[in-house]
Amino acid sequence: MSMNRRSFLQLAAGSAALSVCGFPSLVSAGDKVSIVVIGGGYGGATAARYLLDYLPGASVTLVEKNKDYYSCPFSNEVLGGEKSMDDIKFGYDGLAAKGVKVVIDEVTGVDMDGKKVSTANSGKIPYDYLVVSPGISFRDNIEGYDAEVFPHAWKAGPQTVLLRKKLEAMEDGGVVMLAAPPNPFRCPPGPYERAAQIAHYLKHHKPKSKLIIMDSKDKFSKQGLFMEGYKKHYDGIVEWRSAANDGKVLAVNADSGELVTEFDEHKPAVANVIPAQKAGVLASSLGLTDDSGWCPVDQRTFESSVHSDVYVIGDACIAGAMPKSGYSANSQGKVCAAAIAAKVKGYEMPNPSYLNTCYSLITPEHGISVAAVYRLQDGTIAGVKGAGGLSPLNASDETRKAEAMYARSWFRNITTDLFG
Amino acid sequence: MHRRLASALSLVALACALGGPSHAADPSAAIVSKPCAGCHGIDGASKGDAPIIAGLSAPYLASTMRAYKNEQRYATIMNRIAKGYDDAQLDAMAGYFSSQSWPNTKQDIDAGQATKGQALHASKGCLGCHGPQGVSMMPTAPRLAGQYAGFLEQQMKDYRDPGKPIPPAAMVMRSMLSGLNDADIAALAAFYASQNP
Ligand SMILES: Cc1cc2nc3c(=O)[nH]c(=O)nc-3n(C[C@H](O)[C@H](O)[C@H](O)COP(=O)(O)OP(=O)(O)OC[C@H]3O[C@@H](n4cnc5c(N)ncnc54)[C@H](O)[C@@H]3O)c2cc1C
Ligand code: HEC
Ligand code: HEC
Repeated sequence: MSMNRRSFLQLAAGSAALSVCGFPSLVSAGDKVSIVVIGGGYGGATAARYLLDYLPGASVTLVEKNKDYYSCPFSNEVLGGEKSMDDIKFGYDGLAAKGVKVVIDEVTGVDMDGKKVSTANSGKIPYDYLVVSPGISFRDNIEGYDAEVFPHAWKAGPQTVLLRKKLEAMEDGGVVMLAAPPNPFRCPPGPYERAAQIAHYLKHHKPKSKLIIMDSKDKFSKQGLFMEGYKKHYDGIVEWRSAANDGKVLAVNADSGELVTEFDEHKPAVANVIPAQKAGVLASSLGLTDDSGWCPVDQRTFESSVHSDVYVIGDACIAGAMPKSGYSANSQGKVCAAAIAAKVKGYEMPNPSYLNTCYSLITPEHGISVAAVYRLQDGTIAGVKGAGGLSPLNASDETRKAEAMYARSWFRNITTDLFG
Repeated sequence: MHRRLASALSLVALACALGGPSHAADPSAAIVSKPCAGCHGIDGASKGDAPIIAGLSAPYLASTMRAYKNEQRYATIMNRIAKGYDDAQLDAMAGYFSSQSWPNTKQDIDAGQATKGQALHASKGCLGCHGPQGVSMMPTAPRLAGQYAGFLEQQMKDYRDPGKPIPPAAMVMRSMLSGLNDADIAALAAFYASQNP
């Protein structure tokens, strides 16, 4: 022991004067490490960016199958007519400019022992650490399901365009049915915001039309606030039918366009049928899922409980009390990046902190929100007691308008955080 | 290796790992502050209309986060968020964001509105504390110059409304704003938002 603590700290202080992090021997470990991130959505794009922030010398490769990313957040506003597809379209040039190696290709498999990612057209990419954020896929809970006839529009892109076209083509007086999925699913308030957005379009363009939410549940996220908003703006246009009230769609018929419930059959003019969900196909094909269909992880770091050095974030992972949302995925991507940085550099990861907020727009001037702050409690992500919660009921028009303004602000800021 | 030295080494490595100088280098400050970006922009440099918090003073940030937490400052959402953090975390965030730099903004502001706002700023005595261009002179008052108009306007309406909670430090503005109508407030917001000193 030739150096005591004080002389070490003096040394640290001295070199800090030259350059704050001028400890090449201590930090160079991060310079050689290769990290591959699969999926350039809310989780993956965040992880890629923050990995480079925390490990500036690392090689960070993002593999994403689509050149353009269409954001699900604000895709409901495309259906409502307030936003265009261009408004929700993002690319990867910003991340590339920051030094992320962007590979537009589909991942076809991963050799977990040899630590290599296989792609359809770009060969194999070796990694030291792998981050997987593949989003969701659909279950077969609805017999006869056909996404062309009954678009889910639960992955933004061509499905959003298809549903919007069907709404535009519908005659005034037509009935729209929105079949909402069972828990757990991506974006718990999403179907109910969508109902409001479609109703907004109907009210202004097809005033004789109606929208019925056919639900597989008996209650839903921000229910009081949504029901209050429907009554205020869409009385007589939006109706909610709970599972107990025969709202649950069990089967569909692509030839007749009918939806089948336990006791009835319906033939809406337009049907938006959102099936039950599970982790993205890639996650199960890599063996990262458990019996629930989602990926168990160490909720402190997001390292997979199945494979070491593989991390799963976003909708695909099981993250305690956090809902499956874009903000959750973004927050998880940051924690995961910090955890990998800590591992690479060989120190203990600080206590993680996570955030989520989901804004919903009932009209362009009526916004509502649910928020929560999370921390790790006995190994599980739990909401901090006394924090978070819903926008108040019976709030003034001024408050609802301010929340709508801040909802749009959220979209600008979070997409800048993701894509630069 | 000596345990104390090992932990000192890892502390430095850790401090260096997660960011730039000063507070930004404290990984526990970074880990608690980074998630705010979803609403406030990267390291607090909002693209609007949520307020820019990068570069506000640490005393102001620390005190206003406590005001939100204790329901002493009206908010659409910050009251719900601030309750999620203890005092040490609030102070860590205050340190983190105060060490970021304020981003200059270019907002689409009507020049006539801004001129009207400038006159009110002078005649109502706002400049005594907030400086000629809205760069506040005291560390307890936040910068107004270049802040987003949408936020500033809402904030002033909230201050003016006697039914809404207000921190003691802002009480003085309630009486000053009580004589102003919505159009005056919009003009003041336009003036501050248009400044880029
Ligand atoms: C209508 C709607 C509204 C929503 N509104 C909100 C909102 O207001 N706020 C909010 O916080 N959240 C909202 N969400 C939820 C949000 O969209 C998701 O939670 C978020 O996208 C999850 O991020 P992710 O990274 O897990 O998945 P995604 O963002 O879906 O990203 C996954 C990416 O992985 C890629 N990928 C998958 N497999 C492969 C492969 N084999 N090879 C290469 N690439 C692959 C996909 O192409 C995709 O780009 C909404 C969702 C919907 C449907
Ligand atoms: C869901 C969006 C959201 C999140 C998340 C959020 N904020 Fe805010 N913040 C706002 C909004 C909106 C306001 C304006 C007040 C209001 O209506 O709540 C605000 C106001 C503030 C202000 C006052 C600024 C001023 O000029 O007076 C501070 C400081 C602040 N937030 C800090 C933070 C910090 C630190 C975090 C992270 C822990 C955070 N916020 C997370 C939306 C958010
Ligand atoms: C006596 C000093 C003083 C005067 C005079 C004053 N202010 Fe302030 N102002 C403050 C302080 C202090 C705060 C922070 C209050 C707090 O801690 O919540 C503040 C906050 C604000 C904010 C909120 C900014 C933010 O980012 O949250 C606005 C807007 C504002 N003032 C506008 C005005 C206007 C307009 C006037 C004139 C009508 C005025 N002020 C006069 C001291 C003053």
